Amino acid sequence: MNNLIFALPLAAMLAAGTASAAEHASHDQAGQGKAEMAAPAAVPVDREKKWKESLVKPSLAVSATFDENGRLWLAALRGQHLYVSYSNDRGVTQSAPVKVNAEPEDFLGDGENRPKIIARKGMIYVSYTQGLAKPMSGDIRFSRSTDGGKSFSAPITVNDNREIISHRFDSMAVNGKGHVYIAWLDKREQSAAEKKGEKYNGSAVYSALSDNGGASFRRNVKIADHVCECCRTAMAVDTDDYPVVTWRHIYDNNIRDHALVKLDGKMTPVRVSTENWNIAACPHHGPSLSIAQDGIYHAAWFSNAPQQRGLFYAYSADQGKTFSSPLSFGNIEAQPSRPYVLSLGSRVYLAWKEFDGESTSILGMESADGGKSWSAPKKLAATSDISDWPMLIGENNRAYLSWNTKNEGYRLIEIGAGIK
Amino acid sequence: MKQFGFLMALCFAILSFAPAPVSAGQEIKPFVRGSYQKIVNARQGKPFILNFWSLTCGYCMVELEMLKKLAAKHPKLDMVLVSTDTPEEETLVAATLEKFSLGKAEAWVFSDSYTERLRFEIDKKWQGELPRTYFFSAKNNEVIAVSGKVEQEEVEQWIEKHMGTDAAALP
Repeated sequence: MNNLIFALPLAAMLAAGTASAAEHASHDQAGQGKAEMAAPAAVPVDREKKWKESLVKPSLAVSATFDENGRLWLAALRGQHLYVSYSNDRGVTQSAPVKVNAEPEDFLGDGENRPKIIARKGMIYVSYTQGLAKPMSGDIRFSRSTDGGKSFSAPITVNDNREIISHRFDSMAVNGKGHVYIAWLDKREQSAAEKKGEKYNGSAVYSALSDNGGASFRRNVKIADHVCECCRTAMAVDTDDYPVVTWRHIYDNNIRDHALVKLDGKMTPVRVSTENWNIAACPHHGPSLSIAQDGIYHAAWFSNAPQQRGLFYAYSADQGKTFSSPLSFGNIEAQPSRPYVLSLGSRVYLAWKEFDGESTSILGMESADGGKSWSAPKKLAATSDISDWPMLIGENNRAYLSWNTKNEGYRLIEIGAGIK
Repeated sequence: MKQFGFLMALCFAILSFAPAPVSAGQEIKPFVRGSYQKIVNARQGKPFILNFWSLTCGYCMVELEMLKKLAAKHPKLDMVLVSTDTPEEETLVAATLEKFSLGKAEAWVFSDSYTERLRFEIDKKWQGELPRTYFFSAKNNEVIAVSGKVEQEEVEQWIEKHMGTDAAALP
């Protein structure tokens, strides 16, 4: 039974070879576009068909996490089911995958919209975005295992607005009390505005809390209006057990830089980045966030603003009130993309994708002083065909790159031994 | 061309679950390595607009509508439209272009699933965000790249500068 999950995405990809479509797929419909589209009204029949086809396309996305005992947990999509498996030897051998959703569902599971998995104190939590019938529509779903991953609860829909509209790009965090937080992008405001013949720019970002370990969620709470429609959200838990959420916001008309807020009921969103990327579209390229035991916030993101282009990193030593001057990283001539940040104590790791004309590499760099100074970038892995976004996961003080590729399958590569 | 478009739409309606038939209307060329250079080389000394779009991109639909208006107003405006979808979606791509009356534009569809490779040849600074539009001056020495929806008046200004009254002349 070992390595089954390794084989799954691979076989699935061989059947299709269209992760590229997913990469470009989620450029959002409507938003302000809809109102401006008055006369032409796009091509609804074609788009619905295309959307339905895209729902059955296989995904290369594999999400990974470690529990407190060093067991690796993996979530991967196969057809209309989400599967969870574990490995006691860092991915060399794996358990038989367990089906999360007994009833088949359509998934939105490309790299930007991947399923999430967290394993804490014997509980396994998963969240994901279910694809609905209309283009760009989805629901946020959640399931948990209370028996160590042997079985999963019937998934529940977290968004309490049930229109067939966009509720997508979920992020999830679980704090020390076992409270589960989920944040996502939600078009209910846009939908309401449209019904009144009004315009609403972008999506809203919402969150929901479960204070009973994921048995149920409280009512949805809006975090902010006017956010970029199809960039992943990111969430991490602060040392005071409150979660912190970051997303690509829409400032003014179409400046799409990043915002962050702690969900403590007190903080209002702050602006993380000021590249001033003015773009009348959603780049489908969201941020990454990590908070270490020392309470420093570490954020990484992408921008293609003419004057400040590429990948950026900044940290905040005052719970997100202010951020350090952004560090630009990655080779701008090599399509640097998909940044991911992980902090383990004062050690911070960055990983991202680059393409040199022939092959895709995951580059990594490391800071030993909380993000103040950094090693030179080093190539961690490479492939010569399509691949998933990179993820970094930590176990005690060891950092790993988790990466799935069409050619090589899933790989877990330790980088904690030192990038230098 | 219009009739073909209608036929195409019909074909599409009937064969919507069959593999893409050979396009009877607008030719959709497979965009592979080397295609970008081919497009540029074929237009030395001529200004043109190169637009990348996708069936799933809402902002692209708005931009295609704008390009439709431009094409009607400036019949000599040379436009190349590249869909970043897949060869399997060729019929849908052609049907969409017909709906936007862009059947006369040169049309391509990404035919390499390893899209990084294609983007690398086109523009290393493009990360796949759509729509992505390039404006090539006559000598191809001045290329303006825009991510996101472009306003019609911006394009009109570019046409005025690079094509003058020539653009409005009948072919």
